[in-house]
Amino acid sequence: MKLSFLTVITRWTAVTAAFCGLFALSAPAARAITCEVTPREIPISISYHGAKLTITGQTDPKDDLILKVSSEPHDTAMKHYGKVGGLVWMKTGGLEFKGVPGVYLVNTTKDLNLILSETERGQYQLGYDAMAKATKIEDDKGQPAERKWFDEFTRFKEKEMIYKIQQGTFTRQHGEKGDTFEIVVNWPYQAPPGIYNVDLLAVNNGKVVDKAATTFEVKRVGIIAALSKMAVDQAALYGIMSVLIALAAGSAVGAIFKKGGGSH
Amino acid sequence: MYMYLPIALTSVNYFLVIGLGLAVGLLSGLFGVGGGFLMTPLLMMVGIPPTIAAATDANQIVAASASGTFAHWRLGNVDVKMGVYLLIGGFLGGAVGVQVIKLLRATGGADFLIKMTYVVMLGLVGSFMFVESIHAMRKKKVASAAPVTQAKVAAPEKKKTGFFASLPLQIYFEKSGVTHSALVPLFLGTFVGVLAAIMGVGGGFLMVPVMVYMLRMPMHVVVGTSLFQILFTCVEVTFLQAYSNRTVDFFLALLLLFGSVFGAQIGTVLGKKLHGDQLKILLAILVLAVTVKIVLELVLQPSLLLAYAGGH
Repeated sequence: MKLSFLTVITRWTAVTAAFCGLFALSAPAARAITCEVTPREIPISISYHGAKLTITGQTDPKDDLILKVSSEPHDTAMKHYGKVGGLVWMKTGGLEFKGVPGVYLVNTTKDLNLILSETERGQYQLGYDAMAKATKIEDDKGQPAERKWFDEFTRFKEKEMIYKIQQGTFTRQHGEKGDTFEIVVNWPYQAPPGIYNVDLLAVNNGKVVDKAATTFEVKRVGIIAALSKMAVDQAALYGIMSVLIALAAGSAVGAIFKKGGGSH
Repeated sequence: MYMYLPIALTSVNYFLVIGLGLAVGLLSGLFGVGGGFLMTPLLMMVGIPPTIAAATDANQIVAASASGTFAHWRLGNVDVKMGVYLLIGGFLGGAVGVQVIKLLRATGGADFLIKMTYVVMLGLVGSFMFVESIHAMRKKKVASAAPVTQAKVAAPEKKKTGFFASLPLQIYFEKSGVTHSALVPLFLGTFVGVLAAIMGVGGGFLMVPVMVYMLRMPMHVVVGTSLFQILFTCVEVTFLQAYSNRTVDFFLALLLLFGSVFGAQIGTVLGKKLHGDQLKILLAILVLAVTVKIVLELVLQPSLLLAYAGGH
C-alpha cells in the first residue's frame, strides 16, 4: 500500500502531538504568572492625595513573589551638607546620582535577602545594596563619591515616601481561578506624573523562575493639567493672573473690613 | 480636605495652609512686615520645595499687603511720598543684590553668605529693637509717675544738624512729619533692597527698623508705609518668578492668601489696641526667635545630609 506524502506528514504530526501531550502530563505544571494593575491610569485632580493601586494575578503557590513599582532611571542632582570650619553645617557641594529611579517601591512575600541570591538581586536591581553597586555617584569635579551618600540618598527618598522596601503584604488564595495573589500598594502623592513600570517576579531556590510586567500612568487632569500647562506655555500671562487675583483678593477683603477704621 | 498643588507637585491639607496664611497675615497687619522670613520656612516644613515656597510666598504677600495697605490707607497711615523713594531704592538694591548672589553662586559661597546675613541682620535688628523698646517703656513709666503739668502737644521736629542736614534735595514728608534729603530714603531703600535680595525676602523686617530708627517716622505710619512698599516689591517678584523660573504655585498662593488677607485685617485691628513700643517689642521677640532657629539650624547636624539641587 502506497501512502501519499500528505498522509505521511499528517500521521507523523499526529503521533508527535500525542507524544508531546503525554510528556506534558508527566512534566511539572508550567508556570504561568500574570500581573494586572488597577487602575491603569491614576488621575491627578484637585483633590488628589495619592491612590490605592491593586495588583492581581496568578502565580505558582510554591514560589515567593517580588513586586517592584518604579520609574525609568535618570540622573538626579543633589546638594550635600558638610561641616564648615568645624562649627556650622552648610551645603558644601553637589552630587549626581547616575541612573536612579525617581520612585522605587518593592514588596516581597519574605525577606528579599533570604529568597533571592546576591547575583539575581544585582541582575534585577532589587534591594538598596544591588542599586548602590550599580549606581555611579559623582561629585562636583566628576570624581566618584563615597557609598555613604547612596545610603543618605535612600534615606532622603524614603522620607519623601517614594522609596520603600517591605515584606509580607501579599494576599494569596487558591480558588476557582487557580492560585491567585493580590496586593494593594498605597501610591504616594509625592510621586510625580509619569509612566511607571510594574514588575512581578516569581522566585524559587534563590532564583527568578518567572516574571510578568505591566505599566500604569499617573496623569494630571482638569484644572491641574490646565494650570501646569499655562505656567509653562504662557508664563507671562500666568504671572499677571497670579498678581491680579492676589491684588483683587486683598482689596476685596480690605473692603469687607471697611468699618474697622481708627488709628493706632 | 486635601488639595493637589500643580507646580509644587504635592498635596497639602488646606486647613493647615489656610491656618499658616492666617497666622502670618496677622503678623503682617500687626507689624507691617510681609512675613516672608517666617512663611518660607513654614511652607518648607509642610513639604513645599524651597524655590516654590519662596516664590509663592511673594504671591500671597501681594494679597496680604494689598489688604493691609488698604486698611492702613483708610487710617491715614501710608506715607506715599516716602514709600515711593524707598521703593525706587529697593528696586535698585534688589537688582544689585541679585547680581551679588549670581556671582557668589558661581564661586560656591552663596549659601554661607545668605545664612550669615540672616543671623547678623536679624540678630542686630532684633536685639536693638528689644533693648530700645524696653528702654522706652521704662522711660514712659517714669514719666507717667511724674505729675502732668503741660498739655500734651505733638513734639516739634528736632532741628537736624551735621551730615544728613547738609545733603541736597531736602524734602518735608508731611505724613511722617520729618524732613530728609531724598537721597537718604533712596540710599536706605537700596541698602535694604540689596540685603532683601541676598536673603530672598521682601525686606519688611529690615525696612521697619530703618524707618523707625533712621528716618524717625512715627510707628503707625511706618507700618502702613512698609506694607505699601512691600506690596509693589512683591508684585515685581511674583511676576519675575512666574515668568523666569515657573515657581509660583497659584493654588498654594490662593490657600495662603485666603488666610492671610483675613489675618492682615485682624492684625491691623489688634495693632490699634497696642502701643508702638509694645508692637516693637513683640516684633523684636519674633525676629530674635527666628535668629535663634537659624543659628540652631547652622550648628546642629541636619537630619538629612542631602537636599535637591536648586533653591537656597
